[in-house]
Amino acid sequence: MSALDPIARATLAAIADHLIPAAHGMPSAADVLTDDRVGFVLAARPDLAEPLKVALRPGLGADVAQRLATLGQDEPGNLAALQLVIVGGYYTDKRVRELIGYNGQEAIEVKSWLMPPYLEEGLIDKVLARGPVWRDPATGQRAIVADAPRTYAERFAAATPDKE
Amino acid sequence: MAVEPADVLIIGAGASGAVVAKRLSEANFKVVCLEQGDWLNKDDYPGTRTDWELRARKEWATSPNVRGLPADYPVDDSDSPVAPLMYNAVGGSTIIFAGAWPRALPSDFRVRSLDGIADDWPISYFDLLPYFYKTDIDFGVSALPGNPGYPPDTQDAPMPPLPIGAAGLKVARAHARLGWHWWPEMNSINSTPYDGRRPCVQRSTCQSGCNEGAKASTDATHWPKAIAMGAQLTTGARVSRIETNDRGLATGVTWIDRDGHEHFQPAKVVVVAANAIGTPRLLLLSDSARFPDGLANSSGLVGKRLMMHPFANVAGLFDEPLMSWQGQFGDLIESLEFYETDEKRGFVRGARWGMAPTGGPINAALPSRAGEQSWGPDHHVHFKTHFGHGANWGLFGEDLPTESNTVVLSKNLTDSSGIAAPEIHYHMSDNTRRMLDFHIERAKESLIEAGAFKIEVDRLMRYSGWHLLGTARMGDDPATSVVDKWNRSHDVPNLYVVDGSVFVTSSGVNPTSTIVAIALRAAEHMVETRFEQAVPA
Repeated sequence: MSALDPIARATLAAIADHLIPAAHGMPSAADVLTDDRVGFVLAARPDLAEPLKVALRPGLGADVAQRLATLGQDEPGNLAALQLVIVGGYYTDKRVRELIGYNGQEAIEVKSWLMPPYLEEGLIDKVLARGPVWRDPATGQRAIVADAPRTYAERFAAATPDKE
Repeated sequence: MAVEPADVLIIGAGASGAVVAKRLSEANFKVVCLEQGDWLNKDDYPGTRTDWELRARKEWATSPNVRGLPADYPVDDSDSPVAPLMYNAVGGSTIIFAGAWPRALPSDFRVRSLDGIADDWPISYFDLLPYFYKTDIDFGVSALPGNPGYPPDTQDAPMPPLPIGAAGLKVARAHARLGWHWWPEMNSINSTPYDGRRPCVQRSTCQSGCNEGAKASTDATHWPKAIAMGAQLTTGARVSRIETNDRGLATGVTWIDRDGHEHFQPAKVVVVAANAIGTPRLLLLSDSARFPDGLANSSGLVGKRLMMHPFANVAGLFDEPLMSWQGQFGDLIESLEFYETDEKRGFVRGARWGMAPTGGPINAALPSRAGEQSWGPDHHVHFKTHFGHGANWGLFGEDLPTESNTVVLSKNLTDSSGIAAPEIHYHMSDNTRRMLDFHIERAKESLIEAGAFKIEVDRLMRYSGWHLLGTARMGDDPATSVVDKWNRSHDVPNLYVVDGSVFVTSSGVNPTSTIVAIALRAAEHMVETRFEQAVPA
């Protein structure tokens, strides 16, 4: 990935290390953000290339904290782009994902035939036992439903004949 | 070659347009729909990709201003704390909506009678109930029957409920201790194989398109059926104005294709289904000597009373891992405990609470909705504290109609076809601010009771204008409303509006279920009255 010149690359590494340093068993973002990782982010988000370049310009000086403060004050959009490139490159890295225990958004089968734990625990029964909570427009008061089921078993039994 | 007139021309292929198209096609109407977006392919949705969170913040953003795709039009939202959200494609905003499917409640239709403010609707919850049942089947809804937040149903949802996740269960237990209402959320997301579509896999990327096709979006649930019955759907077709004749009837529309060429599509009846920003924009663009203030606007209410459900987010952080980056984004659970008016609280009306997953690692690492951020060595602690350890209550406050909240035509901004863009002017009322403040405090109590060690609050989220409502309101009096109770314009008898524009008040719940029930009711009426319908010669 050659989107950044060597000076900008070094500046990015310094900022990455400042924002996400090696600590608590996690690597520094400077070590993770290889050219490939930056390229990965910019391939997904080509719109970030220009604000990233602006945020890394030499004119903002060598002091990382001062650069970030200036960007936050005067160029919040460029700062946000810079942060997103660093965070995006870091947290899409395979090793980082292993360390945080994240395999991406996974496909997990919905087992709709199993009894949900909230029914087993009787949590729904407690809601039903309190009765209706909707306001009856005819009275302006909380509705009174004479034969409202007080447990889920009652509700289920009442619903079952209609399904047959 | 002259273009054949449509029996019914529908503008917009989103939720309500698709419902009307399918029903009218069943009844053998010649239906033509013009949609400025395109067909999408669910295999292109980014949810299965490593770069999902990066793309979700740009090309899959919910704001058209952020996306800036060719099918989008810009919205000048500089005079609004809330940015309107939408999607332009076949399926419309159902492509990116979360899939939560609560209905408006009975009291929502009687706000003036019950609370002495705003207005009553000309229809009731019970008028809509048969249409709720039908649209639940057509869209495919998963729910636990018996929610005491609503009147008893005589028909259950077609599928069992989706899981509520570890976070939902933790909060449900807390509400059991507090004696507060909660219920597994009703979602238009399959929990089982249904209608040729796969079940949900809990990937939680609902808002950037469902890769499984499990979430109901009308490109999958309605359009293939409508087209099979003869409906004609033209994409890349941007309608620039509705044309009328000297009898004051709509005669069709002028539209612009992708190459900038102008066309005219004649029609006997025109149905506008372009959302509560696109619809008033188009009506205002369709002014003429006979309709100098815009079409269907003798009341002066086209574009007024914009409502967007101001949204607050209350996040609780828990010690134990909740894997809260997974699960249907529709909602896991809801609470209607504080939905109804209690004037002792210092405001009227209320808010629905919905609990959704909390997002992936990039979301956890960047500054939070509440503005929390941490860099340096503590970043890793901040990340581990937030990622997968959160439970979020999203609070939708009922937005009361105010004529100063408007959609107008911009004098400075146009879309890529050179058509004036909409400009919104929107401010949240004091009643709504007090309402959200109250609900934020109660939501904190909920999460603390559930065991949260820290609470983070976003008191008003900017990118939360999912629910666009009210800008062509329904009513019996032509002086104070734009359409009648059958969604027909008071001024133009062969013009209908079927999207959320017709809402009289906003309710405090996600509106899609109610929007499509109203649209189906309007379509049924069009079928029943087809031989009495005034049409141009």
